Amino acid sequence: MTTWQFLRALMRYRPWLYLANGFFWTLVHLAPLLPGLLAKWFFDTISGAAPVGINPWSLIGLLAAVTLGRIGILWLGSETDAYHRFTMSALLRRNLFEQILRQPGARALPEAPGAALSTFRDDAEQVEDTISWTLDQVGTGLFAIVAFAILLATSARLTLAVFVPLVGVVALMRFAAARIERYRRASRGATSRVTGLLAEVFGATAAIQVAGSECHVIARLRGLNDERRRTTVRDRTLTQVLDSINANIVSLGTGLILLLAAGSMRTGSFTVGDFTLFVYYLNFVTDFTYGAGQFLAYFQQSGVAFTRMVGLLGGAAPATLVAHAPLHLRGDPPAVPPPPAAVEPLRSFAVRDLTYTHAPSGRGIAGVSFVVRRGELIVITGRIGAGKTTLLRAILGLLPATAGEIRWNERVIADPASEMVPPRTAYVPQVPRLFSDSLRENVLLGLPESETDLPAAIDVAALTPDLATLPLGLDTVVGTRGVRLSGGQIQRVAAARMLVRQAELLVVDDLSSALDGATERLLWDRLLAQPGTTCLAVSHRRAVLRRADRIIVLREGRVAASGTLDHLLTTSDDLRALWYGTDPDADGTAAETAAIIEEE
Amino acid sequence: MAIPLRDYWRLLVAYLRPQRGRVGLLALSIFASIGLQLLLPQLLRRFIDDATGGAATGALSRIAVWFIIVALLNQICIACAKYLGELIGWTATNELRADLTAHCLGLDQSFHKERSPGEMVERIDGDVNLLATFFSQFAIDLLGNMVLIAGTLILLFREDLRIGLALTVFALLGLALLLWIRGIAVPYQLVWREESARFFGFLGERLSGMEDIRAAGAVGYTQWRFTAHLRSWWPTARLSYLASVSAWIVTLTTFAIGNIVAFAIGLVLYRAGAITIGTVYLVFSYTELLRRPMERIRTQLQDLQKAGAGIVRTQELFARQTRLPDEGTVTLPPGALSAEFAGVTFRYDDDEPVLRALDFCVAAGQTVALLGRTGSGKTTIARLLARLYDPMAGVVRLGGVPVRDVALGDLRGRVGVVTQDVQLFGGTVRENLTFFDPAVPEERLWSTLDTLGLAGWVRGLPDGLDTELASDGGGLSAGEAQLLAFARVFLRDPGLVILDEASSRLDPATEALLDRAIATVLRDRTGVIIAHRLDTVRRADLILILDAGERVEFGERVALAADPASRYSRLLRTDTAGEEVLA
Repeated sequence: MTTWQFLRALMRYRPWLYLANGFFWTLVHLAPLLPGLLAKWFFDTISGAAPVGINPWSLIGLLAAVTLGRIGILWLGSETDAYHRFTMSALLRRNLFEQILRQPGARALPEAPGAALSTFRDDAEQVEDTISWTLDQVGTGLFAIVAFAILLATSARLTLAVFVPLVGVVALMRFAAARIERYRRASRGATSRVTGLLAEVFGATAAIQVAGSECHVIARLRGLNDERRRTTVRDRTLTQVLDSINANIVSLGTGLILLLAAGSMRTGSFTVGDFTLFVYYLNFVTDFTYGAGQFLAYFQQSGVAFTRMVGLLGGAAPATLVAHAPLHLRGDPPAVPPPPAAVEPLRSFAVRDLTYTHAPSGRGIAGVSFVVRRGELIVITGRIGAGKTTLLRAILGLLPATAGEIRWNERVIADPASEMVPPRTAYVPQVPRLFSDSLRENVLLGLPESETDLPAAIDVAALTPDLATLPLGLDTVVGTRGVRLSGGQIQRVAAARMLVRQAELLVVDDLSSALDGATERLLWDRLLAQPGTTCLAVSHRRAVLRRADRIIVLREGRVAASGTLDHLLTTSDDLRALWYGTDPDADGTAAETAAIIEEE
Repeated sequence: MAIPLRDYWRLLVAYLRPQRGRVGLLALSIFASIGLQLLLPQLLRRFIDDATGGAATGALSRIAVWFIIVALLNQICIACAKYLGELIGWTATNELRADLTAHCLGLDQSFHKERSPGEMVERIDGDVNLLATFFSQFAIDLLGNMVLIAGTLILLFREDLRIGLALTVFALLGLALLLWIRGIAVPYQLVWREESARFFGFLGERLSGMEDIRAAGAVGYTQWRFTAHLRSWWPTARLSYLASVSAWIVTLTTFAIGNIVAFAIGLVLYRAGAITIGTVYLVFSYTELLRRPMERIRTQLQDLQKAGAGIVRTQELFARQTRLPDEGTVTLPPGALSAEFAGVTFRYDDDEPVLRALDFCVAAGQTVALLGRTGSGKTTIARLLARLYDPMAGVVRLGGVPVRDVALGDLRGRVGVVTQDVQLFGGTVRENLTFFDPAVPEERLWSTLDTLGLAGWVRGLPDGLDTELASDGGGLSAGEAQLLAFARVFLRDPGLVILDEASSRLDPATEALLDRAIATVLRDRTGVIIAHRLDTVRRADLILILDAGERVEFGERVALAADPASRYSRLLRTDTAGEEVLA
């Protein structure tokens, strides 16, 4: 889609508001026509060039009246513009966010969150400005036409002679516009690298402080800052110098008028009043070209902005960026989303030949197949990098599988990303993220409290004693990434988040990594206590492997072995290596290690 | 709410002083331009009077040509001024960004856990952006505009006392009005910026948590929250806009009044025969000349209003002091460091105490294992040893020296912490290992990796040390990130090593790899291990068991294991597989 197509789609969002806004601002821009004419008549009257009968004092009074009118229109225009602008950037941000929410959860953004945030903030604002300024262009354009007509009627020769340089400048602008886009892109790129680093730095302050490497990090920031300064100064200087040429054209135009009007002014065919009118209107007509040049630059820049925003859509059609949707800015808030529909109870869950490859690194999973039956605990295990997390993500649609299928009770799940969600499945990721909200919010995440048993979920997740130590209990606000909570507490909150959804299939990625043995035992006891609880878990902990109905061992993305623990301990090298903590590719110190464990 | 000029001035001086030369050149360009602009109406008056007086066309043409030349010279001066202005502004704000970031990095953890990264980016980048025009244009441009106005009024006085008086009164009243309007919009701007920060903080967190949102089926809910944030943001944006427009309206009215005054006085004096028609035009022309600088003052004041909001927020950040005073001067002894807690009590903010009157001592070179339920205070001990916080009561000593007496920079170099939550940066593996320190020799990197047995793993990566990592740890599995974190810490040769639940995310085979590396490294260093598994505890010399922040058992591992009444031996008995742990 071209930039114009994007902008038109946005303008059609609130067409009446946009038109009203345009109406007011056109009046605002047309208003200066009157003072110009009043000035001409004033000079003509006092110099005697005008017909008698006009009292100069009444001209001055008219000037006052016109001013009052302008104030009123300006206020009305501001109300409409403020609202319209806000809806423009809000719509873009809303659509962007919606599309990102539609991407597979573990691959939602093509770049770091910090850089994406800069797109949300600055690129949307860029477009907001551009759209608002199209109205200014219309207004100043109309003014230029009417002024031009009036000037032509006064002296055609002079009017044409003065406008030639103006046309020349506009041509210069078009030529420069192409170069501006390239610099703008470089400048935006450098900016997002700076904000990206800042976001990382402030997500890692403890690590940086402990390592004492503040000065190195700042040195890196300075380096990125310099790059940004270089590209941005280049971009903005070019833009501003072109602007100033436009602004100064009035003086050059005035000089031209003096040169060409010398003769007629002597003879009196070109009066002082005419001269005043010409210079006055010239000011505003060049404002139009000045604005047009600037608008052209902005137009190019908004093209860059659109490209960056489309980049976040993750393959969706560019038109979705500007799709019309209600914003609910005024009036009643939208309805809270309804709870999800009930699903078919699980009898069996089958994965067949599931494959996913992470394009740059070539890693992933290939041809993974297994079956989970109701009430079973299936544990997936393997070395780091074997693909365990990738497998869970592919099953849940958080990564888009490149081959294979998933079946729920023999029915193929066509779109795991939207179907493998509560109440069908619920998930605890390996690194859960908590939000800056109350604990209650973090656990419920929008689930109505009346629709579920929150205390029971808290209890099963072994969180109840921790809540007792928090002053506000469930209403305690947790900081970003749950910094106020310990690692184990964060995992258990994530577990509660999963449990409160009362899903048919629980999917767990390494729940015990931050828990001590007793808490882990307790949690799994309670988790598996309810009959019919079906669970697919990744773990290396012996306690969990012991409870499994079946274990699936992954090696380099493929299923290396599967079966019960006893079976695998006798037949699978891989599992034995994991169980006894040795490298299967090294020679055996297994016996020695096992002996030491037994001894203790 | 008025922004004190003193704060403006201080910031200006601090950040413009290093660019004195450029600022001087900028001033020159702007003042030259002013002089040229004041010249133009004089040429116009001459032309009009000569033309209406019947002068020769040749003479008139000469005036016209001079007019054009002056206009061109003006253009050149303006172009120089623009370039210098941008350069100065960006250089100054970059310095400010770096200073602000450095200052915030120097603040203790109690500051950072209250703020999301998204919010900090908004403050450091977003707020500072508002100051860019402040630096480049305010100082010189604003002053230049004032000089232009003064020059114009002086020239009007030269024509006729009454004209000068009338327009001076007008100019002063106009400026007074504009100055009055300056303070009005700031509070609205501030509220709007706060609401913006909140919106982008929300957005930033959700963008980082997409996996959690989707898998929890919370997409609809998150969109609903998004709408809620927009709804609370909109009213603040509206008021901020309207407040800015009020300034424009005041300016508009002021100019209209100026024109009326110019016409009126011109009319009166012309009818009285005191001035020529050329002079009437001159008065009109100079009044119009006043328009641009006054308008520029209006927009500069608007920028100042926005900058004022930015300055207030920036000063807030600078004013925040760290709660960890760095007054120590002692350097720690080389080699392994002993660690001691004496009567340490600690709480986060006003919560319950996490540690109560804790005492223990670990000799240099020994390893102690901290055992206890999650939340019993183990991680807090690690943070206090690394001096991320100071205790409320009691003393923490390293190498016999209270940590408060040690220079913070020295302490950071001697204490290494490996945490469970690994924080990575967008950059190469090398940059993540060295934390962007370019001075680390290549051999040291490889020898550290070799010692830890990780060299093979790094060589196996696509570009070895130069492999680019996406931000937020993309491209590495959680276990690999953990390996990197180990290497990162050991690169700096600490005397005290704290391993905080470090091994838990790895599979047992890879853990064995790390175990061997850890054993090598702990040989000549003091170690504090926080682990859940008795396996890890095996390598410790001492055991410290905590319950609700109190020490319930402390002693040599072997002795405690042999004593059937100790909690430790009870633990061993209940778990023979060497895996579960804890009181």
